[in-house]
Amino acid sequence: MSTEMDGATPVVADPHRASAGRERLLDVVGTLARLFLGVVLIYAGAAKVGKPLTSERAVQAFEIVPSDVAAWIGLALPFVEIALGVLLVIGLFTRPVAIASTLLMVAFVLGIAQAWARGLTIDCGCFGGGGQIGADETRYPQEIARDVVFAVAGAWLWWRPRTLASLDRYLFGH
Amino acid sequence: MAKKSTPPPTSARQAKIQAAQKSQGSGANKIVVAAVVAVVAIIAVVGGVIWMEQSKTDEVTGGGKALPTGVSALGAGYPAFQDVTAAANAPTVEVYVDFQCPACASFEAAMGSTFTSQAQEGKIELVYHVKNFLDDNLRNDGSTRAGNAAFCASDAGKFQEFHDIVFQNQPKTEGDGFPEAQLKSFAEQAGVTGAALTTWQQCVDNNTYVDYVNSVEEASFAAGVKGTPTVKINGADVDLNTIASPEQLTQVIQNATK
Repeated sequence: MSTEMDGATPVVADPHRASAGRERLLDVVGTLARLFLGVVLIYAGAAKVGKPLTSERAVQAFEIVPSDVAAWIGLALPFVEIALGVLLVIGLFTRPVAIASTLLMVAFVLGIAQAWARGLTIDCGCFGGGGQIGADETRYPQEIARDVVFAVAGAWLWWRPRTLASLDRYLFGH
Repeated sequence: MAKKSTPPPTSARQAKIQAAQKSQGSGANKIVVAAVVAVVAIIAVVGGVIWMEQSKTDEVTGGGKALPTGVSALGAGYPAFQDVTAAANAPTVEVYVDFQCPACASFEAAMGSTFTSQAQEGKIELVYHVKNFLDDNLRNDGSTRAGNAAFCASDAGKFQEFHDIVFQNQPKTEGDGFPEAQLKSFAEQAGVTGAALTTWQQCVDNNTYVDYVNSVEEASFAAGVKGTPTVKINGADVDLNTIASPEQLTQVIQNATK
């Protein structure tokens, strides 16, 4: 295959073959995005498991929803993140899971941005921890940038969920 | 040539895909798989929430509900200088601290003696709320263990002494916590000795007041005290910038005395 590709004859390269190469590259990028986002979500969720008070406080500190509601979100979020992460890693229902993950990351970005805009001084608690911190300890730009990177990985899979070594491919042939 | 060969591979590829699908029988039923995945995910999330809620209950009340002497209920503050009867018109001054909070240490260094002397003279009712939220941020258990140890010292009547010594000996690097042996030396420096020290050690080993410390964190957070140090006089938040010197603090206390 490589000899055919390299052996550039005067004839213009076979357009089908060129697009197949491009498809293959996109598959690889998608696969990396899928595994990256999946591992990040599992890691983020696992860091919060078993720390109920911390998780509740982390969400309450954003002061978006009433304290009781925030507490429940804090308890559920780690498991939602792990579920999405596992589905991404095994590549099952990649597009719907990618959509959910992307929206989740966008929600995190908006949450952090509103905390920043309102002058709250919190740690996003993205990977455990969280809650009130000193005004000079906030890291809003870094936190937002990090979540935007995750959102971009999700958006890629939303746009093009086809990847290599996925259960989608194995079970459903795509 | 390129033009001519383009259509066949495309259809060949489609044929291959179809063949691949056929080779797995009728192929997995997407709806069935989706239903199974959805059910498993919902069970995992709901089960996880229930489990977390359960372990939270354990975290707050699991090891019994021991309250330090003078404390009315879980979540309530600890009244300092309980042997002093404050004047009837003395304001209640509540101080919220976390033993790992550097700002608390500098605040205590500047204002601590004013608080204690006012309390000893019965001019204020001094109440401490010992929080432990920094354990979350620093990912250790230093605040909880120091808090527990301080209330163990309160059993020997040495809370204030222990409290002061902890803040004087905060680790140079925030987050290093307090080693076991250091807490014991704090107790000794605070004047907990002999049989009282043995009792103190048992109290520390049993985590007797850990639930209480957790409950104070819960209650104060729910009441909106999310950072430390925080000072409330008669229930109203005090802007710490207005009590930058002991003189200003004394003045603010006087103003609150009716």
